[in-house]
Amino acid sequence: MKRIALLLSIALVGALALTGCAAKTDKPAASTSGDKIKIGAALCQTGIQAPLDEPALRGAQLAVDVLNAKGGILGKQVELINMDGKSDPVTVGNVAKQEIQQGAVAIIAPSDFDFGGPASREAQTAGLVGISPCASSPLYGSAALGDKQFTMSMWNTTMGAATAEYAYKQGWKSTYVITDDFIDYTKSLSKYFIIRFKELGGNVLFEDTYTQGQGDVSAQVARIKALKTKPDFIYISSYMPDLALMIRTLRESGIDVPVVGGDSYDDPGLFEALGTKYGNNIIFDTHGFLSDAANPAYGEFAAAYEKKFGTPPDAVWVMPGYDAVMVLAQAMEKAGSTDGAAMAKAMETTTFDLLTGTLKWSDAASGHEPNKAAAMVQLKDGKPEFIGWVTPDKIPAP
Amino acid sequence: MIGSEFIINTLSLGSLYALIALGLVFVYGILKLVNFAYGEYLMVAGYTLYVLGTFTPIPWWLTMILAVALAAFVSYLTELIAFRPVRTKSLDAMLVTSFAVSVLLQNAALLFVSPRSRAVPFPPAFSESVTVFGATTPVRNILTIVTTVILLVALTLLMKYTVLGIAMRAAADKFTTTRLMGVPANLVISVAFILSGLLAGVVSIFWVGRSASVDPLIGFAPLLIAFIATVIGGMHSLQGAVVGGYVYGLLFNALSIMLPASLINYRDAFMFAIVILFLLLRPEGLIRGGYTEERVG
Repeated sequence: MKRIALLLSIALVGALALTGCAAKTDKPAASTSGDKIKIGAALCQTGIQAPLDEPALRGAQLAVDVLNAKGGILGKQVELINMDGKSDPVTVGNVAKQEIQQGAVAIIAPSDFDFGGPASREAQTAGLVGISPCASSPLYGSAALGDKQFTMSMWNTTMGAATAEYAYKQGWKSTYVITDDFIDYTKSLSKYFIIRFKELGGNVLFEDTYTQGQGDVSAQVARIKALKTKPDFIYISSYMPDLALMIRTLRESGIDVPVVGGDSYDDPGLFEALGTKYGNNIIFDTHGFLSDAANPAYGEFAAAYEKKFGTPPDAVWVMPGYDAVMVLAQAMEKAGSTDGAAMAKAMETTTFDLLTGTLKWSDAASGHEPNKAAAMVQLKDGKPEFIGWVTPDKIPAP
Repeated sequence: MIGSEFIINTLSLGSLYALIALGLVFVYGILKLVNFAYGEYLMVAGYTLYVLGTFTPIPWWLTMILAVALAAFVSYLTELIAFRPVRTKSLDAMLVTSFAVSVLLQNAALLFVSPRSRAVPFPPAFSESVTVFGATTPVRNILTIVTTVILLVALTLLMKYTVLGIAMRAAADKFTTTRLMGVPANLVISVAFILSGLLAGVVSIFWVGRSASVDPLIGFAPLLIAFIATVIGGMHSLQGAVVGGYVYGLLFNALSIMLPASLINYRDAFMFAIVILFLLLRPEGLIRGGYTEERVG
């Protein structure tokens, strides 16, 4: 008990120190009329959110370089200030606030509603546009966060419906769903997939769960094997690292029906972990594809990326990060200023042509719902192959 | 069919959990220190497998040996650098130190490799499937069981029949008396850490082998498993850790299969309810240890 009390007090002291630091920097807002346009980012470089945010940050950094080479925004050079959000919602909020005080005119928030929300709320409070490269929760928009908040990602409503329709069109009528109940993303993705699949007339044999970190799926495998009718495919809504474990265990146990999922599959770590042996018959939808097949503009982007970072883009998440900065730049140009309300208005009324496809947001009254196509991808011999862009016929209501 | 599959799964899961718990208890037994950095030894072995397997032509069997050796070495190093200087201070100081070591190692992996998980190459035979008694299961599961049996027999022989083993058991029971008999404290504690790291390394091969990938936070789940297994089995004896590991594996699999569909979401709640019952009704675990005294020096 004494020990627990000790640990708790250490944690409390740490938390106090953090808030103390933030409070100390509470100076009057720096002047925004300098010769640079500052974009703030609260992306997480450490912790569980880092695998998504770190590539997005690299994409954003590249976009800033590209913009500056072309003369910047509104004739001013652009500066990206990123402070590590540390995969902690409180820290994310604090660093966003700090960046706003340093003169940031827009905020890039982490790619998740729980982690990105605090940054967007700070941006909203300050009257600035906040944008998340990849938060796919239908909560990420104007309804929950405010009229200047956006996400670049299709919502889970689209992501779930696109694969449901794709699978149904393949003639796969029955499915077994395994949902990772550790985070909101995976739960909400399964929900919309199931709604759309049932609506089409598909049969969901069982809704099973898994918890990230559990490290064992033998029970789920046993339940699948005990089914009287075999599912035509298995829908797994989970993410790395355990996703590799789940798919491998299924395959090793002799279950070889297709495995279908969402954008969390788009991870080179997963492709390699499955290898040529198990990297087959896996289909997922995501935000884009790292090749010219999905977007002719990819080649130029990839070359610039390789020049800056020394390696070709390794994860799809670099593209939404790049796009987020480009959207902000276009919005500022169109609005003719860095005013938050004017930028938000510009974002609502523009159709953006981006690396991750065309994007059109609905107005603030209908939630800033992103109208975007999903990139359908399959794994073959451990290598991703682009199937095509898919826009669902019907998207479930959030 | 579920029958034989259930038995094999439970045995292999239980074996893995038993090894995990055993590694933690080796150090706890002598130092009375719950080593929060234990999961990171497993991570070190995992990254060794990744680095050697991906960037060097070293054959897989040698990478495995080196991975286990390095885990044991890092465990020994942490004892030498981090724990030994604070050992004579309070137990709380050691506990906090173990947190520090854990955070340090995790962030080292984060900074020097990547926050994203990395694929670890394994020989194809490792994930080949075999059919045993009508159940299809990866060869790895059978290997886990066999390896655990071999290790448990070897460790039993070591603890029962060698001077070192006897000294370690004595130190776990009455540390001060053991020192008065002329057993060097540093040696016994170092060996405990090395064995702990060794077990973490072996576990790592099978743990990482299941997903064929490694990430900076991979050590957390095994650490949690070790805690639960030792609560069930008993913190004060090596047998307790092994029994706890197998019972945990059995409980986990049984609950997963027997709970009705509507209650499956609450499996972990049931699991922890059982753990709480153990804490309330039998806080010393299934296997009672002998008399234990507070660690001195």
